[in-house]
Amino acid sequence: MLRTAWIIFRNEFRLLAKDRAALFMLALAPLVIITVAGFSLGNIYGVRPGSEPYYIVVVDDDHGRFGRAFIEAIARDHSVSVVPVANLDEARTIVGGRSRAPLCIVIPAKASGEFADGRDVHLAVYIDPVKRLEAGSIELDLDRLCREVTSRAHELARKRMTEQASHLRDQLLVASDRMKAAVAQLEQLRHQFERARDTAQSEVNAQTRQTVDRMKAEITLRINRSVAQSKTIVEHDLAVRREALIAVSRYLEQLQISQYDFERWLAELKAAAGSHPSQIPPPPQWPAPPSEAQLAELSKPIEFPNQRVDLSSPIALPDTILLPRLPELQDPPSTPDFSAGISQTASTMPGIVGWQEHSITGGDAKVNAFDQYVPGFGITFLLIDMLWGVGVGLIDERDWGTLARLHISGASASGMMLGKLTSRFLIGLAQMILLFGAGWLLFGISLGHNSWALLFPAAAISFAAAAFSLVIACLANTRDAVLPIGAMAALAMSAIGGCWWPLDFEPYWMRYVALGMPTTWSMAAFNNLMIRGLDPSSTAGPAAVTFAIGIGFLAIGILGSSRIYRYVGQ
Amino acid sequence: MMTDSCSLMSFPVLIEAVLLRKSYGARLAVDNISFKVKAGEIVGLLGPNGAGKTTSLSILATLIAPDAGDIRIAGIDLRAAPNSLRRKLGFVPQSIALYPSLSAYQNVETFARVHGLTRREADARSIEALQAVGLRDRANDPVWTLSGGMKRRLNLACGMVHRPLALLLDEPTVGVDPQSREGIFTTIRAVADSGVAVLYSTHYMEEVERMCDRALLLDQGKVVAEGTVAQLIELAGRHPRMEIVFKRRPLSGWYDGLPGVIELAPASDESKITLELTNLRQVSELLERAHNAGGQLLEFAMHSPNLSDAFITLTGHALRDITTEI
Repeated sequence: MLRTAWIIFRNEFRLLAKDRAALFMLALAPLVIITVAGFSLGNIYGVRPGSEPYYIVVVDDDHGRFGRAFIEAIARDHSVSVVPVANLDEARTIVGGRSRAPLCIVIPAKASGEFADGRDVHLAVYIDPVKRLEAGSIELDLDRLCREVTSRAHELARKRMTEQASHLRDQLLVASDRMKAAVAQLEQLRHQFERARDTAQSEVNAQTRQTVDRMKAEITLRINRSVAQSKTIVEHDLAVRREALIAVSRYLEQLQISQYDFERWLAELKAAAGSHPSQIPPPPQWPAPPSEAQLAELSKPIEFPNQRVDLSSPIALPDTILLPRLPELQDPPSTPDFSAGISQTASTMPGIVGWQEHSITGGDAKVNAFDQYVPGFGITFLLIDMLWGVGVGLIDERDWGTLARLHISGASASGMMLGKLTSRFLIGLAQMILLFGAGWLLFGISLGHNSWALLFPAAAISFAAAAFSLVIACLANTRDAVLPIGAMAALAMSAIGGCWWPLDFEPYWMRYVALGMPTTWSMAAFNNLMIRGLDPSSTAGPAAVTFAIGIGFLAIGILGSSRIYRYVGQ
Repeated sequence: MMTDSCSLMSFPVLIEAVLLRKSYGARLAVDNISFKVKAGEIVGLLGPNGAGKTTSLSILATLIAPDAGDIRIAGIDLRAAPNSLRRKLGFVPQSIALYPSLSAYQNVETFARVHGLTRREADARSIEALQAVGLRDRANDPVWTLSGGMKRRLNLACGMVHRPLALLLDEPTVGVDPQSREGIFTTIRAVADSGVAVLYSTHYMEEVERMCDRALLLDQGKVVAEGTVAQLIELAGRHPRMEIVFKRRPLSGWYDGLPGVIELAPASDESKITLELTNLRQVSELLERAHNAGGQLLEFAMHSPNLSDAFITLTGHALRDITTEI
């Protein structure tokens, strides 16, 4: 079987090499269709491939800096060409009558001034409704351009403010430096002042101390003199009073003697009264005379100590006579950091609210239309070429008689099938590789981060397409029937499977139907790699499903191949 | 050089069909036919379109399964070892079974390889086969550039490149120019002489008369007669015929009285008449009588009895009656 498969395999390549129509269908026809589709339908993806630009008619009523800048910004896009006109009537004529001129932009008068003053500028866009799709595409760019212009203006203003802030900061820094110098000078003066005050304090203290000492001596002298005089007087008065006291003392001594005499008398009296002494009333109590010691004291001379005022010992005066303190000098305020404040001022200017597209999967948000059409139409032509190679090829071989001859030659049906399908599978894979290479070279399509991973879905869809063609060959009994039936099925699978437009364009039920088609899954794998920029593992599921559908096709094809291989022993 | 049938007696039988039967619905295409072809023998299958020649060959070539009957090629039974049997078999179909876009060499080489030859063998045999059919100088030309006769010869080369023991030829000269036909005859003869058993299907009785050692006359799926060409003619018991084309026909009854002279089935052309004679001496008499009866003769031709005559005799209708070929 393998030997037969190898011979058939080789023969298929020989046949292909000699078949110019098949080669054309394999390589050139897909490229032609891809080119046409890519350049024609690129608008769907918001890109405008191709050399002929779109014409944007512009009425500049501003005649100012804004208008000029805006027109220059539009003209920088190579896919558009600016057509300046004088007024709206002229613009209307061009937009209505010229192809690829879908809209007109009117820049209002005084736009420059209003823009410069920070007011909103509203452009008027007039579109031709017939060219809605093209206009929509350009409006997207116009929106982007408006955002860019506004953003750029903001950026310029911010830059200008930053420059001014920088200048101001420089000035403030100079002022700050000067203030710092003044503070330093002030501090120095304070130190000088404090030193002078300390000196003055010392001198005042010394002079005060001298004065106090002198005054103290004088006062001492005067006090002593006065004390001496007072002492003399007091001593005299005391001597007089002492003599009086001595007389009192003597009287009291006499009085005490009289008391003793009285008591004796009384005792005698009582004794005399016999049995009635108790009837004698007691005599009045004699006051107790002062004690002799007390009385002796009265007679003692008063001695005045020879007290002298001595002010020779220093009088505890404050060490220093504090001069009134100067009012407390507060520390000079710290110099503020002007730079930070100024920078913050510049950066906190209200920004603009904008948006920017990013691919949620990490790929490039901008889609090259050919990223859709190269794999999409590649799959379509793969299916058609498989129909040609496997479907028509089998029918041709049957009609030519070569199938019978191969059978008689001992070639097994399984070997022939294996050889034919394997060769066509590899041819299909080569076709996809060729198309991806050409797409990369000619249209700059993305091959993803791992271009080798494209082989997985390419191989899966090549296999599925080969098996699908076998099914068609079994269903269609003649060459004339293969292409209509097969082409209808292939084109329907391509369309529903999202080969020609994004699957999301289709209604729900159609997307549901698409789940059963290998084209859907292979396109999903290609999109994952090329447009979404996902890693190779993202192709595993879709490629596996594509392959599984191919297995299903193959099983049906093998069961139905008896329509073709009606030979003994097959 | 035609092989002497006597000398073939000792040759092994390489093609053997026993009671082959094949029907398509109610119509019986092959009705219990049996035959043998020995090594070095060329056996013709002769019959009109629809006689069952192609069906019989297709059964032998394993393209169609018979309803009944056995086939052995070089002693190998089809039911027991179909693949081994195919290795011994060469088949040249009636239609040109070639890859149009491939070169002559590539076609031959492809079938040689499928037959199991090594690359080197296939290369050598392919060149040899192309040489044999006179296409060596056109080896690298695509098939579609070759003439009809060349394609026929190439068709033959593809069928014999692997040197089969049995070669089945299904009308290999249809639409071929005389030069190519000669080439094909030469090649087939050489193949047979190399020991190959050749079964040659045709509705040209001239080819059978010239090429075949024996012939099977088929009609409506049955073998109506079998033998050497001489045996078949003899079997039919036919006499010489004389075809005369008149500008003006003679009066009726002009050949009455001549013994054994009868008019065969009248042709559609009234100016033409075919007479069966008993012997050639009656020719001059007939010409004289026609002239005397007012006939104006344009031309006449003499025919010896042949397979066509035998076929008519055996089946009651002409060999080239148009019927649907199966």
